[in-house]
Amino acid sequence: MYLVAEFREMESIVRAIQRLKEVGMTAADLDVFSNEPVEFYRGVLDRPSRMSVVAVTGAIANGSLMTGFVYFAQHNYALNTGGMPVFSLWGTGVITYEMTMLGAVLSTFGWFLWESGLIRKRDKSAPVPAVPPGSMCLRVRCTDEQAPGAAELLERSGALGVERKGAS
Amino acid sequence: MAITPELLPYSKIREDLFRPLSGASATYILCVLAALAVVVTGGVAWGIQIHDGMGVTGLQRPVFWGFYIVNFVFWIGISHAGTLISAILRLTDAGWRKPVTRAAEAITVFALMIGGMFPIIHLGRSWLFYWLIPYPNERLLWPNFRSPLLWDLTAILTYVTGSVIYLYLPLIPDMAQLAEHNTPWRRVLYRTLSLGWTGSDREWHTLERAMKLMACIILPIAVSVHTVVAWDFSMAIAPMWHSTIFGPYFVVGAIFSGIAALLLVMGSLRKLLHLELYLTRHHFNNLSKLLLLMSLLWFYFTFAEHLTVWYGNEPSEMAVFRTHVTGAFAPYFWFMVVCNFVIPLVLMGIRRLRTITSAMITSVGVLMGMWLERYIIVVPTLGNPRLPAAAGTLYGPTWIEIAITAATFAAMILLYLLFSKLFPIIAVWEFKPHPAEED
Repeated sequence: MYLVAEFREMESIVRAIQRLKEVGMTAADLDVFSNEPVEFYRGVLDRPSRMSVVAVTGAIANGSLMTGFVYFAQHNYALNTGGMPVFSLWGTGVITYEMTMLGAVLSTFGWFLWESGLIRKRDKSAPVPAVPPGSMCLRVRCTDEQAPGAAELLERSGALGVERKGAS
Repeated sequence: MAITPELLPYSKIREDLFRPLSGASATYILCVLAALAVVVTGGVAWGIQIHDGMGVTGLQRPVFWGFYIVNFVFWIGISHAGTLISAILRLTDAGWRKPVTRAAEAITVFALMIGGMFPIIHLGRSWLFYWLIPYPNERLLWPNFRSPLLWDLTAILTYVTGSVIYLYLPLIPDMAQLAEHNTPWRRVLYRTLSLGWTGSDREWHTLERAMKLMACIILPIAVSVHTVVAWDFSMAIAPMWHSTIFGPYFVVGAIFSGIAALLLVMGSLRKLLHLELYLTRHHFNNLSKLLLLMSLLWFYFTFAEHLTVWYGNEPSEMAVFRTHVTGAFAPYFWFMVVCNFVIPLVLMGIRRLRTITSAMITSVGVLMGMWLERYIIVVPTLGNPRLPAAAGTLYGPTWIEIAITAATFAAMILLYLLFSKLFPIIAVWEFKPHPAEED
């Protein structure tokens, strides 16, 4: 099941997250909803990312693949180059460079869609709170047994209201 | 004291920035119709060119590159307004960038769309453009990967892809908000495009990370694109083209014309959409200073390029140099110097004269000057080849080329007008101060 709590103050929501983590909740069980980006201090609700690694991998992969393709195409129908090399990295370096960058762009975008959960299979039963302007909502995934304790913790931390949603 | 938008209530910011999306004034409809009429005329002119062949243009031996290549270079240059400027401001965390970035990013996408059309228009047999794309075929023919034309294709493809994604990413949260209360077709459009954005911290974190990374990636791409366009010229051993400084010279020119286009668009949107509270004198002042800096850099490069040619005194180079400075192209050349250097130096350099109106006037001048700069680079060199036997008549455009050129400017206006009715021209969510900024 889920608990949804509304907060107005940054300190209150940080306090709530820290207390919930102390009683065994993990970052995977917690989601903060807001109309604008909310940045927490390191250690509060960290979301580690592999986006940079994916971007570099995508860049290298696409750059190598396309350079390989150009090499193949140049040899597949070799032009008369008058003794010069049929394939030259200097001559096709621009294509290698652009395709490397294209790989970085596409892999970054693809990973953004995946990591943000926009194209991943999501739990359809998870409630998405309608956040009033200026507020933040904390959604907590918990079991029926954990719910009363968690709700009390949220209220003590300064939540304006706590709602129970969905069955476990 | 002026109110900064960050101090306004969020509901007010939302209302102000979403308001231009609904309804259309008579002026707006008139502008759309006028732009559409010019675009259609250009389309008809292109149709005639396709039907009758390239003979309807003024292109003839030895000037095979005329208005079309000038326009190609000009629009690719304008595209540097957005993504490059936005990426620099985002990476340096310049707070004043917030109302500027989306307007700039949209310019990039539209300018690239328009600029990318010109190599196809210039082909003559435009329907065979796909021969540029490497695909398996029965004759086992592949494009020549060592040709700068193919470099252009890959560079522009990468830049368009990157710029569209860079424009799209920060639009997602705004579209999710727009999907809440809107007309049915708009709800469907925004819901589809926002991909089910919920506003969770996971999504926000990933979005911000992606935007930072994209800013880092797009910068070297933008620089490379105009460098590759410059290499279209400098790889040829033609007088006043075969220059090692052409790459940076073109990049500087591109950023220069890009900033001018951005100032012009911002000034127009400010009036048309009543965004005086968001696009303030502060933004125009900062961009005007950047314009002045680029003007000085442009002059430095132009001076260096011409001085070395003059000092070298190589006959074929000097023939082109003379057409620039004292010959048939001198009026264009000196008008270009006035537009790109004298006017910005006076209007942007003297603090008292640096106003929104003067920034708009300077921008119009710079855009004219930069278009002329491309014309002066392309045509005189082709008209004065190294072999005197190859020299021919002077190039003059026909109404077909003029109509197509005018259509591209109208297309830019039309695309921008339509965009401003579909999407907020300023990122609403970016106006909320982050905790780090509050600290």
